[in-house]
Amino acid sequence: IPKKKTWYDPTAPHYMFQDDPYLTPRTSAEFKLYSLSQESGRMAANHIVNKNPKFFQKDFAEPHIPCLMPETMELCIEEVSEAALLERIMLRKVKAAVDMYDQLLQAGTTVSPDASNDLLDLICLYGDRDPVQDDKPEAEDVVGYYLCGLYLENNNAERIFNLLPERDTRAYSALIRGMVKYGAHVKAFNTYTDMLNNRLTADVHTFNALISAAPEVRERYTEKWDLIVDLLNQMNEQKVKPNLLTFNALLKALRRCGSLARAQSLHTLSEMKAMGIAPSLASFDHVLGIFYKAASPSQGQTDILQEVMTEVAGRTFVAQDPDDVNFFSSAMRICLDTKDIEAAYKVHDLLRVGENWRMLGDSFQQSIYYGRMFNLLCMMEHIDVVLKWYKELIPSLYYPNPQGMRDLLQALDTDNRLDMIPQIWKDIRRMGHDNKSDLVDELLSLMARDKHSPEIQESFAVCALDVKSLYEQGQGARMALEWTATAMTNITSVLLAAQKKQQAWDMLKLFKTKNRVPSEELMEEFLASIKSSNDPQHAMELVQISASFCLPSTPKLAERVLQAFELSEEQKYDYCLGLLELGTTDVNSTPSEGSHPLHLLRPLTP
Amino acid sequence: MVGEKVIELQDYVKMVAEQSEQRVGVKMEGVTESVKIEEIPVKMDSEKMEEIQTKTALLPIPEVKLEDVKESEEMKEIMLASKTEEVKQKLEVTMAVVKEGETIVEIQVKTEEVVDVKKEGDKVVEEQMLEVNKEEQQTEAPPKDEIQPVKSGKESLLDLLGAMKVEVTNKRKFKALKVQRTSETAARPMPAAMESTTSMFQEATGMADVPAPAPSETLSPELVAAVSAAAATLPSQSQAESELLKKLRQHEAIGEAQKNGDVNNIGVIIADMKVGKKPNGRQNARPANQIRFDEDGRGYTHDRGITAELDGGLRRRRSLFSGKRLNIFTPSTEPEADTDIAVPTLWDMELANQVALSTNQMPRNGFEEMIQWTKEGRLWQYPINNEAGLEAEAQVPFHEHVFLEKHLEEGFPRQGPVRHFMELVVSGLAKNPYYTIQQKREHIAWFRDYFQQKEEVLKEAEVYLN
Repeated sequence: IPKKKTWYDPTAPHYMFQDDPYLTPRTSAEFKLYSLSQESGRMAANHIVNKNPKFFQKDFAEPHIPCLMPETMELCIEEVSEAALLERIMLRKVKAAVDMYDQLLQAGTTVSPDASNDLLDLICLYGDRDPVQDDKPEAEDVVGYYLCGLYLENNNAERIFNLLPERDTRAYSALIRGMVKYGAHVKAFNTYTDMLNNRLTADVHTFNALISAAPEVRERYTEKWDLIVDLLNQMNEQKVKPNLLTFNALLKALRRCGSLARAQSLHTLSEMKAMGIAPSLASFDHVLGIFYKAASPSQGQTDILQEVMTEVAGRTFVAQDPDDVNFFSSAMRICLDTKDIEAAYKVHDLLRVGENWRMLGDSFQQSIYYGRMFNLLCMMEHIDVVLKWYKELIPSLYYPNPQGMRDLLQALDTDNRLDMIPQIWKDIRRMGHDNKSDLVDELLSLMARDKHSPEIQESFAVCALDVKSLYEQGQGARMALEWTATAMTNITSVLLAAQKKQQAWDMLKLFKTKNRVPSEELMEEFLASIKSSNDPQHAMELVQISASFCLPSTPKLAERVLQAFELSEEQKYDYCLGLLELGTTDVNSTPSEGSHPLHLLRPLTP
Repeated sequence: MVGEKVIELQDYVKMVAEQSEQRVGVKMEGVTESVKIEEIPVKMDSEKMEEIQTKTALLPIPEVKLEDVKESEEMKEIMLASKTEEVKQKLEVTMAVVKEGETIVEIQVKTEEVVDVKKEGDKVVEEQMLEVNKEEQQTEAPPKDEIQPVKSGKESLLDLLGAMKVEVTNKRKFKALKVQRTSETAARPMPAAMESTTSMFQEATGMADVPAPAPSETLSPELVAAVSAAAATLPSQSQAESELLKKLRQHEAIGEAQKNGDVNNIGVIIADMKVGKKPNGRQNARPANQIRFDEDGRGYTHDRGITAELDGGLRRRRSLFSGKRLNIFTPSTEPEADTDIAVPTLWDMELANQVALSTNQMPRNGFEEMIQWTKEGRLWQYPINNEAGLEAEAQVPFHEHVFLEKHLEEGFPRQGPVRHFMELVVSGLAKNPYYTIQQKREHIAWFRDYFQQKEEVLKEAEVYLN
């Protein structure tokens, strides 16, 4: 028997990408681009096929494969009939369907109750607007969504509802659900009252919609809760069995009921159990949201997360509620807020059970989840464990943002593994974060801060030169980094520590050309380096450069140079003259006694 | 150990049987129960026996064989003892049933009593066989027993047998038929008995070729009559009758679903099937490699659905659920009504769409992608069914496709060149697997019209002889 194969290879790109190293995403932007490319290619092909069905009539497949044939998107039935109405409903043409219905009524034809109910469903579902076609660009979709967010007064839904010869539960249900969906909450409750007056009973969907609308129509927390309880009691009276979505709507509404939500949410869970309805991930998500409010300072009920995790551990979940996908990222947020690494591991274990990975949601939610998890790991775990997770997550599952990489750098710093920095820098470059100046600055300062063994210093120097080349070439279309004084200082000191005098010297000259001023510490480091190699010529040059930057420490530096190096009289004279030439203006402007170059010569001239 | 192997083997054999059943599905449609059961062995003997035998050869059968040997020796003794007047009397009862029911549902109908009779009757034949060729009987026994699930692999039969609390193997059933025949001719010698079984097979296949009535939700009147006749032999007549009819309807429904490409049902039924032994002393002496059913008469347990699973999941007391509840709803124990199976409205579709969009549906590897394609219908379903996509034609028996001469009866001359031409057309059509029966008829009808239009011309040429 073959062993169970785990289909996860952390070094491999996701299956959805082209099997070509060039098209393997390395950054989150590339990830988005490439992961959408396949789907959008498919959609483009579908669009062409559906727009030109006459060219795609050849049916090669035996037996026939319906999904390969063009879909009919256009209306076929022209005459005024109920079939035409049904066709328009099926193709989700809201306006055309309403027109057809009106024409049918004008012609005196009676429309069957099913058809008119379908029409009402359609209008209420799409808010009396034609749905945005899938093949339209995304931007229009967003606009359409916001436009749909408004409920129109005197729209077709109510007009057709009033035209119906007999309004049954289904018609009322559609109207109420549409009203709730498009934000006419008070109106929805009025319609419900109207429905009760007509001695009709509501169905479960109506109640679900009303429960989710309940927090909108009341001000105070207790009033909201009373309204919800009232609705539930009416449900019971009308012999309507609640379903999972009822309880999820209830829990979601409870999130907006303030302090009484905590107790009531637990009661709700018990009620679900009593009714034999298994909570979905959305239910648990709402409970967690009730107990861990982002803004609330008190973290008293921290054990709720543990209880939820024990409850769900090892179970496979199937998506039943659109909110189910929020569970993982919000559970991880709570783990991060409470700095609970054990719970985080439990959440991640749950994600690996069965098909639960599907519940993580789209790539955006995935990146949030993994970002939080990685942040927590960097904060709480030893660097070896962090690096293990880093290897597992980074190339294939998670593309960290600059903040994530800074967290990693800090973790490296905490556990004294700064020797990893050059490797991390390669990853940073690969992930395209090498143009984030704060990240690069942090990396450089970490490299420059401490003294390390020569090998590490050597690798740091290579890394620093790489960073420098990045500043210089400006990487084509991408924004080049702007040199900062600290970055230059750090690079120079890293180079000095690695005994790369020539490159360090080049850097020092670069300060001048970029109009940046090196720090005094850097000058000291330079001097120490020059001392160790005993090169008076360079020492004098250093003092001259320092003077040219008008560093206040120049005289001290000059003095130390004179003390440190055995200079001939001639050399000293040239040196002082050079200083004078360089710093004439400065000499006048800084009249302090000790700092004047000529004073340096005083002991020399008898 | 052996028992496990045997159960495995039976599962395998059943699987094979299902496939073969699909293959012969065209003929099965609407044919009465017993015919179906007989029909498979006919195919089976040639096609599947080899497979089965090779399969059995791999198993550590010796123990089983030994048992069989012992058993057959025991049987001899029993048989000798059971040759009584009473037995013969009951055999006559069986015959009466058979006559009433036109031999159709004979096996389903056996009460315990009758079966016992038959068992003892078996021994009569068995003894003869043993006398003639005891060696053969011993070696044959295991494969024969393996065939039994093949034959009864039809879930209809399983349902029936399970519901009737009767243990019948086809082996015994054949024997019973033999006994009937032997009782007619006063214990014929063994070769004759064998002959009678083969003739029975021929009969069975002959019946299978009889045009099947169009499938409908109701059972055919013949079948209903047979069932009521069968039920008449049982103590509680009306109950048994309704039970039988219910089972038959169930089977028909399942058969229909299966023909329409819904093969899941069988999997469910097989998965739910319980294989066990009866602790009854006498029955323990039988070969262990037979499917037994539960004592509760259900045969198999229904899927209890998600709520049952849920009970188990929630029964653990967690502090998360241990608090008091809202006490608004009263949980009802009565099963969920069928209201949820109504036509999905736009809202339902929209919700399903939202849920699907919110989750990550990207395949993670090639297999998942292929699973997705299979669901979309782009790939063949497994197991491969070469009649996939021919669901509409599955209702049409093959002879409708092959024997098309009857369409030449009207509108064509009895002899002459036109007739000769049309015979060629018909023979070509008979071999054409691509046309539906309707298309073939239309094809012939077109020629009929054509020749009728050209009647004058043909008469002038003196070829249209009628």
